[in-house]
Amino acid sequence: MKHFLRALAQLFAFLYCALLWRTLKFLTRKVTGRCELQRICYNHKPGARRTLKIEHSLKSSKSDLLRSAVGVNPDAVEKVVDDIMALKQINSDTNPQLGISLQASLFQIVGYRTLMVQVEKLRREPYDCENQEHEAMLMKLWKSLCPETPLTARISKQWSDIGFQGSDPKTDFRGMGVLGLLNLLYFAEHDKATALQLLHDSQQPKHSTLSKAEWERRSLEKAIGFSFAIVGINITELVYKLLMSGSLKTHLYNVAPEMPSLVHFHQTFCYLMQEFHRFWIEENPCDIMEFNRIREKFLRRVTKQLKNPNMALCPHEPASDVHLISL
Amino acid sequence: MAAAVGVNKQTAAASMDSCVRHGRGTTGNTVKVLECGVCEDVFSLQGDKVPRLLLCGHTVCHDCLTRLPLHGRAVRCPFDRQVTELGDSGVWGLKKNFALLELLERLQNGASNQSGMTEDALREMGECIIRCDEDESHTASMYCTVCATHLCAECSQLTHSTRTLAKHRRVPLADKPHEKTLCPQHQVHAIEFVCLEDGCQPGPLMCCVCKEYGKHQGHKHAVLEAEANQIRASILDMAHCIRTFTEEVSEYSRKLVGIVQQIEGGEQIVEDGVGMAHTEHVPGTAESARSCVRAYFADLHETLCRQEEMALSVVDAHVRERLIWLRQQQEDMTILLSQVSTACLHCEKTLQQDDCRVVLAKQEINRLLETLQKQQQQFTELVDHVQLDAGIPVTFTKDNRVHIGPKMEIRVVTLGLDGAGKTTILFKLKQDEFMQPIPTIGFNVETVEYKNLKFTIWDVGGKHKLRPLWKHYYLNTQAVVFVIDSCHRDRLMESHNELAKLLTEKELRDALLLIFANKQDVPGAVSVEEMTELLSLHKLCCGRSWHIQGCDARSGMGLHEGLDWLSRQLVAAGVLDVA
Repeated sequence: MKHFLRALAQLFAFLYCALLWRTLKFLTRKVTGRCELQRICYNHKPGARRTLKIEHSLKSSKSDLLRSAVGVNPDAVEKVVDDIMALKQINSDTNPQLGISLQASLFQIVGYRTLMVQVEKLRREPYDCENQEHEAMLMKLWKSLCPETPLTARISKQWSDIGFQGSDPKTDFRGMGVLGLLNLLYFAEHDKATALQLLHDSQQPKHSTLSKAEWERRSLEKAIGFSFAIVGINITELVYKLLMSGSLKTHLYNVAPEMPSLVHFHQTFCYLMQEFHRFWIEENPCDIMEFNRIREKFLRRVTKQLKNPNMALCPHEPASDVHLISL
Repeated sequence: MAAAVGVNKQTAAASMDSCVRHGRGTTGNTVKVLECGVCEDVFSLQGDKVPRLLLCGHTVCHDCLTRLPLHGRAVRCPFDRQVTELGDSGVWGLKKNFALLELLERLQNGASNQSGMTEDALREMGECIIRCDEDESHTASMYCTVCATHLCAECSQLTHSTRTLAKHRRVPLADKPHEKTLCPQHQVHAIEFVCLEDGCQPGPLMCCVCKEYGKHQGHKHAVLEAEANQIRASILDMAHCIRTFTEEVSEYSRKLVGIVQQIEGGEQIVEDGVGMAHTEHVPGTAESARSCVRAYFADLHETLCRQEEMALSVVDAHVRERLIWLRQQQEDMTILLSQVSTACLHCEKTLQQDDCRVVLAKQEINRLLETLQKQQQQFTELVDHVQLDAGIPVTFTKDNRVHIGPKMEIRVVTLGLDGAGKTTILFKLKQDEFMQPIPTIGFNVETVEYKNLKFTIWDVGGKHKLRPLWKHYYLNTQAVVFVIDSCHRDRLMESHNELAKLLTEKELRDALLLIFANKQDVPGAVSVEEMTELLSLHKLCCGRSWHIQGCDARSGMGLHEGLDWLSRQLVAAGVLDVA
């Protein structure tokens, strides 16, 4: 009974708020003579704040057109923007900025959705030994990470040097599929210095104060924390979860001026890998068994950071650069 | 004629004698006395061997006559070559020699009579007394090999006193040579050979005539003596065998006696240190076994008593704590009540006072109300929080410990190679949802409630480098779940090695072992039986409680059966079987 009443109260509150909000919106529109989209576009600089507000506004709109706008195909974005302008009776000549801003934001929103689909598809694609493309990528990963040492065999103990669990990396890709491999490869190829530094650290004793002999003695017990590849796969999962939950919107809307693409996803991964490494060293865990605790803590921290709409995880890159990379 | 027919009384007598001596059975119907001069076979009263007379007076058996060459319608006597004319009926027309037949008949009857007469002699034989042939009243003691007579010492002297006779070799009766047995068909010939043909085994003996011309003609044969010696040797061998066999049997029965004695126990004479002999009771194995059983059960009783005491003390402690807490609550409530009533009283008192005082008391009243509200809030929280229930649910573990509370907590560690499916199983159990996990770095821990058990499952990563860290998770673990990937045949040996290493751990000595043969849904997976065989689990897990369960984390098949097994092993008797 109590619960029921509580639920009922919440429902009323929600209805009231919604009504109030709509009324308020209506009144503001009448007073200022601008629709909500216009207000958002004029009051906020381009970035996550604006796009998030636009997304919210579109989603909670009365109009079917506006609600369906967020799920539209990227090719149809321009037409949708025109339709919206027509619906809202906004003259594109008097408000030239609105169309451009709206279009950019809509591209970001649609791009995020496309990215989600794309990432999910890659995650679901299992690593396949028969697939030449997959095999080639795996070989490339080895070559980038260990250019000096040639791989003796496809199934070899050497894989555990770069942090795979067994002698066949295939088994480790089960949860994240090809996505994990792509992320690792991107990291190794585009941020080679950092990746090599990380790999180097992972193979080194945690405390540099320990002498080499002592390390050898304790190495079994303190099998150091950082297995490069499987940590990479774990971080991939973390990024994937962030993307799917929508937390990554802030970051991606801030970073990508137009449609966020897979490259942005990879870049986010590289950045979080670095950050996690730093965080790990800061936390100074006594052994690898604390990994999950630290990972959770890291995830909480990142999620909290992403709550801030001005937040971008990695530094902004000019649009032209992004285009260059994606080309 | 006498020569041709060959009626020799002496031979007949000797033959009869031998028959009597060597076998009773042969004396019945046939008396082998009169034989045909051509084939040397004995005449018979009818049939092929019927004697027929020739014109010259010689007698030849019917069979031989038919074989004689015909000269026109006549045959020639094989003895004097005189011609005998045959009639139309040929040989059958010749007269039978009736005189001879009569004689034959009479001899046969006589033989049966004689066999009756020799009864006495037989009896004497049985008594091993051989009479002296010279004087019936004497007992023979030697044998003349030349005269073939039994003699006593006296008669031997007497009869062999002449010069010629004195040369006769006489031997003691014991050394008397065996008499040569004569062929039943050819009385004059002794049996010298043995037929080796299979068909002749019922009557293998033969003389030289049988061998060359008679029924054993052309048969394979051996010399009688050699054959006899061979048989003797084999009999000796057999005797030897029998002797050893007898020894074995008696040895065995002696042992049996010893064992019976050992089991039963008994008196035994023992010499003590001083040298005084006295009997002492030696306990048998039966008794020691009994005492062993008694000791075991006494021990068990003791353990049970101890466990009962411990369990009772746990319950007592629980009850005591609970009661103390409840009493405390009671007291608190009393205090609260009194506080509330004091406040009420105060309020009432204030009510009756005049206006000025009431106004003055406002602050105080407010404070009172505030505390009252606070107390009320505390009380509601408390009542919401605490469930008053008089029940004390009791569960027993297999090691007879008592557990109080609705759920029994069990600590389980999940181990196995990387990629075996530990995390997948854990999440399947926890959320009944299949997901492809990412490699576990470190560990995952989840609590899974199943029936009246609460499993705290520690899922530790299987990466090679992490395996040495497994041991940090063993402590106080009641069960180990070892997960094996059934479709990865080449890693079975690695699993086996890890499992073998685990089983030697001291901390895991009493832990239950549940082996999950995961991924049974994949075609070509190793079956549970095959895996038991391949990993030689019976040998490996000898002496601990273990179970192998085929499962499939994708559909969840087999997982609950595994947990069922664990709960059966852990819980002896659940008062609260929330099945």
